[in-house]
Amino acid sequence: MDVVQKLEILADAAKYDVACTSSGVDRAGKRGQLGAASSAGCCHSFTEDGRCVSLLKVLMTNVCEYDCAYCVNRRSNPDVQRTCFTPRELADLTIGLYRRNCIEGLFLSSGVIGSADGTTELMIRALSILREEHGFRGYIHAKAVPGTSFELVQQLGLLADRLSVNLELPSAQSLSLLCPDKTRQSVLGPMKRISESIAEDAESRSLARRRTTVYLSDARPRRAARAFAPAGQSTQMIVGATPETDWQILGLAASLYQKMQLKRVFFSAYLPVVEDARLPSSDHVQLDREHRLYQADWLLRFYGFNVEEIIDARNPDLATDVDPKANWALNHLDEFPVEVNTCPYETLLRVPGIGVRGAKLIVRARRQTTLGEGELRKLGIAFKRARYFITCNGAYLGRGVPFEKEALHARLSSRIDGGGHGRRADKVADGQLSLFSSVDAAGAPALDAAAALLPEAAPALEDGVAF
Amino acid sequence: MSAVEPQISTDLAYLYDGTPEGLLSAIFAAYARHEDPAEVTRADAYQPRLLQTAVTIPTDAAHAERVSAGIRKRLGSYAHRQVMKSTLSGRPDAGIALYRFVRFALDGVDRRDCASCRFAVDCARRTCKRQKMAAINDVTHPRVKPFFDAVRSVDNECEKIRQFARFQHLKEEGREVWFARVNPKDAVVPLVLGHFVERFNVQPFILYDEAHGVAGVWDGNRRYLVDADEGMLSLPPAGADEALMQDAWRTFYRVLSVEARYNPELRRKLMPKRFWKNLTELQPDVPGLRRS
Repeated sequence: MDVVQKLEILADAAKYDVACTSSGVDRAGKRGQLGAASSAGCCHSFTEDGRCVSLLKVLMTNVCEYDCAYCVNRRSNPDVQRTCFTPRELADLTIGLYRRNCIEGLFLSSGVIGSADGTTELMIRALSILREEHGFRGYIHAKAVPGTSFELVQQLGLLADRLSVNLELPSAQSLSLLCPDKTRQSVLGPMKRISESIAEDAESRSLARRRTTVYLSDARPRRAARAFAPAGQSTQMIVGATPETDWQILGLAASLYQKMQLKRVFFSAYLPVVEDARLPSSDHVQLDREHRLYQADWLLRFYGFNVEEIIDARNPDLATDVDPKANWALNHLDEFPVEVNTCPYETLLRVPGIGVRGAKLIVRARRQTTLGEGELRKLGIAFKRARYFITCNGAYLGRGVPFEKEALHARLSSRIDGGGHGRRADKVADGQLSLFSSVDAAGAPALDAAAALLPEAAPALEDGVAF
Repeated sequence: MSAVEPQISTDLAYLYDGTPEGLLSAIFAAYARHEDPAEVTRADAYQPRLLQTAVTIPTDAAHAERVSAGIRKRLGSYAHRQVMKSTLSGRPDAGIALYRFVRFALDGVDRRDCASCRFAVDCARRTCKRQKMAAINDVTHPRVKPFFDAVRSVDNECEKIRQFARFQHLKEEGREVWFARVNPKDAVVPLVLGHFVERFNVQPFILYDEAHGVAGVWDGNRRYLVDADEGMLSLPPAGADEALMQDAWRTFYRVLSVEARYNPELRRKLMPKRFWKNLTELQPDVPGLRRS
């Protein structure tokens, strides 16, 4: 089997991992070495589904000891051809594509071949060839295989820019139901230790930079030592395979951002790729739900929202017809309208129709001039939506529509644009949990059992992560 | 110069040769001739109007340098950088947008009012940063908005080239080069060359802008900007690994798409079709290039 055939199998097996970001680390180029990284990242291509291709996303191998129900590479799936890259093949392929400006770097994940430690050692070999032999300075995202000893994760983190441990399922019950070989501890344990190592490494590097000690020349620490996962860590959850609500999912994401200092939490709408009695067999992919979850995630990370403001236990699912920010604004009409010429940046961010870019432009422009309707329309904000929530120089611009929740709701609700093709175009707009009512008889008891196990209010556990 | 009130002449158009120096020379000419042209446009894109006099402004590197230095001194390095970017824009109205912005910004600096400024005592009425940035931050002003849009479109085009330039490994006896062909709307090669030199400093490469006939060249030690027509390129044939790598990249791109998420509108939005002709992954498999 040649490299291209292996690539075909191992890229196909890795494509359900949604993380494909090359962001979070700035590394300038160096004379004589290939590659550089910029913290904004760069998308080099877009596939037919509109998702970006930024990294060479492949598995080291799709041989796997584990038997996770949702995974195409599970041990008991006989339909998949199994193969494995050699470390050198993978390193050469990465360099070849990087030199052609096809990718920003490598995203390396793997099935578990033999043991978790053995698999990680293979990955470390590939990354060492890249970093040490080829002197590669591009971006590397590596996946910490569950069950790996921490010494190896340490080595991996020193070679990679970003590490990730996939949570996969948003509750311990679902995890034990669908991934019998994984436990809450085997996922959260490494994540916690990685976040501690990142913090420790960042702290010691910042101390070294301060140069508080006068070293003799031969005792001076070498500056070239690599940082431990300088672009932080991320994780991924599958949405829609198990009955957790949006409230539980977002609560978990928020606690991961706070307690584990994660850079990103990715959500992946469950796609039926393998048949299993424990899984919903519906063809309905919850892409709209995923979209709303990402909108809420953006509010958490860039808009200064708390998770309690976005969602609560009484309405545990995000509204499908309006986005989470508009939903928040509709429920807090007493805080509006705000005056765009004087209100603080943080308040501007809370106006539906004004994003980070728009808010920054408004702040920049209003230093020079008083913003009226004409000026505001030029700034490229979604004026059509924002007009109901702002005044411009004292004038309210949403006249004609009563300032009431129902009337404004009708103005703000909009269908999520999923394109005119594919399964999204002819989807039916049904409730989010209707998926589970269509589960066949064999699957139903197991799912009901899982639902019964879920706590009413997710309690905070000893490490602070409700899971 | 600005003491003399410029002649308001709506019937005057300045034509320049399409180069950044030409555009800056035209701005110089407007000040030197005490005129206020209604249009500043590339000679090849000019559409003559009734009763409008077209004046062809000769490109003068010294004049362009004076304008550039003056803008840097009086508007600051940030505005200067934006001005230089906008001179590379391919929009037909980029010339007049820049001219009107420069007039507006320099007039504003000249007429600055230090009465309300609490630092006025110390600064001895030198142009302070607040004054320098006043014009470029006034993004909704009709004199600034078109310029701001032109700069933003140049920035966006730079990002597109950083994303979508695809290099090919061309090699024969004694000659080796990595070659990328791009077709941006704006002549952004000088702006993005540094990005590619930084990451690909170990490989000599040519970034060829076929739309503007400009090539950015890195020979392993120095970078050059060369005016190059299609006919001037003499490139070695594809190297031995090129076919395999193109095949690998196409295969990877093909399998990566998830069928259930098919959304070609989104792809077209993020990766406009005008770039497709130079993208490896969107070319049909060339039989001669396929691995045996």
